[in-house]
Amino acid sequence: MTLGDAAEPLVHIKDFRMDFGDTTVIRDLSFDVHAGETFGFLGSNGSGKTTTLRALLGIYQPTAGTLHIGGKVFEPRDGARLGYLPEERGLYKKEPVLDVMVYFGRLKGLSKAAARSWSEQYLERVGIPEKAKTRLDKLSGGQQQKVQLGVTIMNNPELLILDEPTKGFDPVNRRLLMDIIEEHKRAGATVIMVTHQMEEVERLCDRVILLKDGVSRAYGTVEEVQEEFGGTVYRVAYDGVLPASDLYEVISASEGRAELAPGQGASEEKVLRELVEAGVSLRSFTPARISLDEIFIKVYGEQHELAEAK
Amino acid sequence: MALAQHNLGTVVAFEFIRTIKKKGFAIATLAIPLLLILVFALVFASNESSKDSADAQKNAQFSFTYNDASGIIKAPGAKVAGGTYTDNPAAAIEAVRNGTSEAFFLYPDDPSKEPVKVYGADKGMFENGKYEAVAKQLLEASAQYDVGSPKLTAALTGTVKFDSETFKDGKPAAGIGGVIPPMLFLVVFYISMILLSNQMLNSTLEEKENRVTEMILTTLNPTTLITGKIISLFAVGLVQILVFLAPVGLAYLFFRDSLALPELSLSSLVFEPGPLLIGALLLLGGFTVFTGVLVAIGAIMPTAKEAGTIFGPLMAMMFIPFYTFSMVISNPGALIVQVFTYFPLTAPVTALLRNAFGTLSPVEAGIVIVELLVVGALIIRLAVHLFRYGSIEYGRKLSIAGTFRRSELAAK
Repeated sequence: MTLGDAAEPLVHIKDFRMDFGDTTVIRDLSFDVHAGETFGFLGSNGSGKTTTLRALLGIYQPTAGTLHIGGKVFEPRDGARLGYLPEERGLYKKEPVLDVMVYFGRLKGLSKAAARSWSEQYLERVGIPEKAKTRLDKLSGGQQQKVQLGVTIMNNPELLILDEPTKGFDPVNRRLLMDIIEEHKRAGATVIMVTHQMEEVERLCDRVILLKDGVSRAYGTVEEVQEEFGGTVYRVAYDGVLPASDLYEVISASEGRAELAPGQGASEEKVLRELVEAGVSLRSFTPARISLDEIFIKVYGEQHELAEAK
Repeated sequence: MALAQHNLGTVVAFEFIRTIKKKGFAIATLAIPLLLILVFALVFASNESSKDSADAQKNAQFSFTYNDASGIIKAPGAKVAGGTYTDNPAAAIEAVRNGTSEAFFLYPDDPSKEPVKVYGADKGMFENGKYEAVAKQLLEASAQYDVGSPKLTAALTGTVKFDSETFKDGKPAAGIGGVIPPMLFLVVFYISMILLSNQMLNSTLEEKENRVTEMILTTLNPTTLITGKIISLFAVGLVQILVFLAPVGLAYLFFRDSLALPELSLSSLVFEPGPLLIGALLLLGGFTVFTGVLVAIGAIMPTAKEAGTIFGPLMAMMFIPFYTFSMVISNPGALIVQVFTYFPLTAPVTALLRNAFGTLSPVEAGIVIVELLVVGALIIRLAVHLFRYGSIEYGRKLSIAGTFRRSELAAK
């Protein structure tokens, strides 16, 4: 079964609100995810990302609003080709790897033979074919992650929803995961990814939404969001002391490197001239877009950084 | 719909196969028949030994002295048995004490009021029984000689058989033969609940404890999952019952005499359609109620250990009606029996008992059956609801009210 009409957004969320008792976790959230795009779902812990995904997938009942996949409310019995890697993840630990994979393959509509064949090929690909008959709890953490990932992408999903996919993954499995996401992306799958890894978002995502306290704070293509939060910055390598100026604001500075955000009416030429006239010895001066990391920090502020550090 | 059916079959197969493949299941399932075989073997050996011992005691030949104040004992018979009359009981007792005589029987003036005193040289706990056996046999044979009639002897010794027949509504009443068939539903209910209840409780906890729930809930409908689990558990229970009954059946067919098993004549059983149908429906209703409650507990509690605290009292509900067993049978109108008949957790056992003993009227049966099926269906719906919203509350006890607040808000 295919997921809806290609002309319509594959995922459509409008005026979504979610209350838990007296607490409103999400308020008036609206966004679309189009078929074939990779969508980054960003925000700090507790900002409402997982709640939104659970409501989209019917695990939570929304308090208000519309949450559609392929033009309708998601129902597992529809047999949609969907792969979901939840934040809280696990499998039947006392069962053999192959049995669990075949079970999920069957639930996703594959025949027993197809599920078995796919699973064996996948285990071969990720380097653990000899573990097919081993109980899951006898595998290492990294091997269990590989199996979990395999279960998620069985039946070639049209829509992949990954909630903090790299959480707890070792570097090898993180690389494997990224390769798999890119493969599915190339094959035309739609990917929704919740992550705190901004470099992954910049590398993989076409569009993003940034949530804070259940409210959208930024939404659009990566470039649009960067533009909204200051657009260009100047990365400089220098000797000496950076003088204070109305033409720029020092975003960060350490060990002879700094990022400067241009002020109102400032141009590349004006900033460069200001620095040279102030006697700063420049080794490099590169205009660049503000990173998503910096936008994240801007939105959540220093307080958030401190809280996260704790 | 087709996928839902496909998934139901997949869940049933997965749950059934993984349960019966577990080593713990094999050990638990085979332990009981193995134990039964061991018990049967011991019974077989004991019966052979007891029979030999009884025969030996009955036919025991030893010399003894006796004194008879009652005048019942016939001297010729006593002589044949190895007895010699003595006038001096004290000397005879002393002779036994110092080992010069093997035994001495002192028959009192009135054996109906005083005991027959038996003295003997110690031959061990089991062989010592021969003294009483011979003293008794000698008394019975002498009395029978006086009566002069085997019929009267049988009447006096209570060895006459009685065959009762009672009538209800102008027809012969079924009696115990009519109680046994509907009572089997109660037996099946107990066996299935004892064998399956713990698995029912843990089957939903497993998804929660292993953090599988979200993967499952986005892959199949929770109702399909719960239904599949219940069906598979029922199938597992049938396998267990068959394994348990196998040695009993084999023992009955091939070793009934050796094991001294009572003869089971199906012709003496009365299979009345009404009580059987009511029994089957009560069993179904009771199974539904208890299954729903167990699944709901599994959904609420974060771990199997915590679920166990509720599990115990719930299981006690199945046994509480037996405390009022005599009242259930003899005084079904009593308040306590009425309460137990209609309270959903005590109703299955109480109503099944009353149905077997014929004290549950058709109207009462109808009310209890409907009540159990409706309450059972509602509890299973609640269990699915709690599983859906409770099983992702990892590591936390679920607030039932909280799940309904969410649904109410969502429905607005």
